[in-house]
Amino acid sequence: MPQNDQALLTRLKASGLDFVVIGGVCLVFHGAPMATFDLDICCPFGEENVRRIEAAVADLHPFHRLTANKLELEMTRTAFAELKNLYLQTDLGKLDCLSEVLGVGDFDSVRKQSVIARFSYGEFRFLNLDALIASKKATGRERDLAAVRFLLAIKERTQKS
Amino acid sequence: MTDARTLAEMNGKYSLPPNAGPAWRAAHEAGLDMSLIEDTLQLTPEQRLAEHQQVIDFLLEVQAVGVSHAPE
Repeated sequence: MPQNDQALLTRLKASGLDFVVIGGVCLVFHGAPMATFDLDICCPFGEENVRRIEAAVADLHPFHRLTANKLELEMTRTAFAELKNLYLQTDLGKLDCLSEVLGVGDFDSVRKQSVIARFSYGEFRFLNLDALIASKKATGRERDLAAVRFLLAIKERTQKS
Repeated sequence: MTDARTLAEMNGKYSLPPNAGPAWRAAHEAGLDMSLIEDTLQLTPEQRLAEHQQVIDFLLEVQAVGVSHAPE
């Protein structure tokens, strides 16, 4: 199942879901030379939004990729209130949906700290550089701390007055 | 009814596989997403490179748009 982030982004946008791209793709957006093999977004949760996600990937055989029995996405209908994240495998690759970002906050905070990027296939929101740095610092993980070094250098270079 | 373990996994908890050795556990504890590695190990080397190329093609486009948004 090759990763096709462009197709996933296009489907999510068409579903009407309001979301911000975070994670590794956002690192690359800001210039960090780090490859990533999944698509991470932050979005509001609740039944209406989970249904939008579900609709976006319904024909892609989605399942919860971290569950032992590879639970199908449609089986979550009884658990909307308890879902704060979704870690999905689809025919177009991995899609991780988070309701909040460590070090930044909930979706409203994330959205406020995002920028709009225009692609040939649509406009999408990405976490801004300062918020991305805050999120990577907050995890404290080795890989994220390496990313912070890249991002601070990028900020120094691009935001020099 | 969804049991607690399954619900935790749906929300992102990674459960170590029964055959996880000390290196695997150490990598997990260091914060690496071992579910990604589990998947790449299911692919042939040729498939890994093909996926890598597809991802790189997309990321290069994202990078180009990102650069165009950078402040002067």
